[in-house]
Amino acid sequence: MNQKKVMKLWMAFMTVFALFIAGCSDESSGKGGDDSSATEITLGFYSSGSADEKMQELIDKFEEQHPDIKIKTQNAPYQQFFQKLDTQIAGGTAPDVWLSDGVFVQKYAERGAAKDLTEWINQDLNKDDYYGLDFNKGPNGSYWAVPQGIQIASLFYNKDMFDKAGVDYPDESWTWEDLKEAGAKLTIDTSGKTANESGFKSNSVNQYGLTFFSITEGWMTVLKSYGGGILDDSLKQSIIDTPENKKAMEYIVDGMDRGIFTDPSDLQAFQSAMSPFPSETAAMRIGIYARVLAANETGVNYDVTVLPKGPDGERFSPVIANSWIINNDASDKKAKAAWEWVKYWVSEDDVQKEWAELGEAVPVKKSVAQSDMFLNSGDKPANKQAFLDSFEFAGTLDVNAVWSEWVKKTGDNFNRAFLKEASIEEALERADKEVQKVLDEFYENQ
Amino acid sequence: MVSPYLIHFIVFIAFTLLASLYFSFSRYDMLNAPQWIGLENYNKLINDPVFWKSLWNTVYFTVLFVPTQTILALILAVALNQSLKGLKFFRIAHFIPVISSWTVVLYVADAIFNPRFGLANDLLVKMGSQPQQWLNDEALVIPVLVAVAVWKGIGYMMVIFLAGLQNVPEDLYEAAEVEGAGILKKFRHVTVPLISGTTFLVLVLSTITTFQAFEQIYVMTGNSGDITAAGGPNNASMVLMLYLFQQGFAFLKMGYASAIAWVLFLILFVITLIQVKMQKKWVHYEK
Repeated sequence: MNQKKVMKLWMAFMTVFALFIAGCSDESSGKGGDDSSATEITLGFYSSGSADEKMQELIDKFEEQHPDIKIKTQNAPYQQFFQKLDTQIAGGTAPDVWLSDGVFVQKYAERGAAKDLTEWINQDLNKDDYYGLDFNKGPNGSYWAVPQGIQIASLFYNKDMFDKAGVDYPDESWTWEDLKEAGAKLTIDTSGKTANESGFKSNSVNQYGLTFFSITEGWMTVLKSYGGGILDDSLKQSIIDTPENKKAMEYIVDGMDRGIFTDPSDLQAFQSAMSPFPSETAAMRIGIYARVLAANETGVNYDVTVLPKGPDGERFSPVIANSWIINNDASDKKAKAAWEWVKYWVSEDDVQKEWAELGEAVPVKKSVAQSDMFLNSGDKPANKQAFLDSFEFAGTLDVNAVWSEWVKKTGDNFNRAFLKEASIEEALERADKEVQKVLDEFYENQ
Repeated sequence: MVSPYLIHFIVFIAFTLLASLYFSFSRYDMLNAPQWIGLENYNKLINDPVFWKSLWNTVYFTVLFVPTQTILALILAVALNQSLKGLKFFRIAHFIPVISSWTVVLYVADAIFNPRFGLANDLLVKMGSQPQQWLNDEALVIPVLVAVAVWKGIGYMMVIFLAGLQNVPEDLYEAAEVEGAGILKKFRHVTVPLISGTTFLVLVLSTITTFQAFEQIYVMTGNSGDITAAGGPNNASMVLMLYLFQQGFAFLKMGYASAIAWVLFLILFVITLIQVKMQKKWVHYEK
């Protein structure tokens, strides 16, 4: 290589380097916060059809009330939104405030991307007025997010199917065993026999007693009401391999074996694992609040009640508090403006009511959730009170920073037991080991 | 003047390659700066049973897919390389799956392999056999995915073969006929050697695409777009690209994902080298 060529290469390198540096510095000067009168904040949220319009309306109203704050929105469908968000956080261009799926709050919190909101919450919000603030608390007691809407589960049941089978509707006295017993009468194979009759074929079921899917609307709910669970209180230790979990798993596997509960391969036959209940192929489901939308859309004649009790009378209702997170990297000015938005969202009655009208989530503000507007809107289910009653025994899905990863490890192993490819003991033991490995790997390096 | 290409190369290729190499030696969750950890990711890779399983699945997928698709595409191309009535229609019909998105193909595949309502199980039951779980069966999931992938990809390879076939001079066939060669002999001794360059291209292309297979498996084995649900049952359809994506984007282990990417790159590099070396033995190029 002659000198000229070396010079050229060097110049090329420097040009690129200069461009690169310029790009970086531009970014950081933006963060410094300018002193012009209006603060512009970026608000990120994942889209859900008709909700987008409502969100824009509420943003317009907010801007009217706060002339000194301008909101720029950034939204995308669920999967893309979170993928983009992660890369944006990496590049320092994430929104100042964003809507997070409840199960991802700790993922951002424990990796330093979410602002600690404890002080502001203590100062500005009366905790007793709201549902779900505590569901975003880390193990050390800090608040990382403020709920935007609450998903809490109860038992959905198809009234027509119960009537037809002559089975009493479920109520708060039910245990999981009662559910299975009723479910057997509601499970019908292709030749019209129920799961209690001889000659019933559990591999060609036309109507299931209970549709059972994955963690929230499946194993976690049963495990916890049997006194088991996945992680201990520190959320760093697996407690999968326990006698309580074994009993719960025996209950589930038996239900699947008899064809009363859908097993993972039954669900494969449906376009979506969510569809058996709204398409009237299952008489019952464990359902979070948002599931009323699909059921109402297909016009199922249904109602809800609290989830059944475990053998020792323990009850558990899983909750997912989808929440507003403020970017830890946002300048003070922007973070404060973002906090105004969060306060506006949870504390203004109008906002809470308008959002509740979409029927996507239980309102965060208790006074609104307990009002006629929510409880007696005329839309099914009639017994919406069951969702509110469930807060008494509600808990999160043991959410921590590596939630998605340990859910996969657990789910994969449990599915093998459900499909009888592994014994329950094997599945629990393997899941326990694999989950502990995921936890150790993350927390030992923190 | 600095050539624009050089800038492009440095910014978009060299820099990103080096960055990913660096990440593969770091702990990097995308949300915080990468931390150098030396060979830890590669050590973990060697001891990760799911990595080995996905490597095995990738190889298994490739070994089933590449010869099947190549042979069938060649047969199809030969069949459609003669004067037939409705020739254009058949050529287009075989090409339609190529331009369809995987989501559309999923619906077609579901009509066949749905365990409850699918055509395949209907047929099995009518023939007196047990219905199968297809995509939910650890032993069948890869063969089913391969069958669907061949159906979708065959049209493209067929077109490449057609182009190759049309370059075979007609007089060679005539000469062979004069020597008394039948259809099979003509195919074996004229067609096969003369399109060996095309065959080589088809083999290399389909090997690379199968090693990078992602979208099909994500769409067909996942649940409503949930990336962490794809690759089942029990990782029986987990392939390297899917594993890489899950580790990187769903579990935020970008360092580990980068290590997988480099291993994948090395494997592909070696395989392609072997293919290039081997081609001297059987590929003939016209001078």
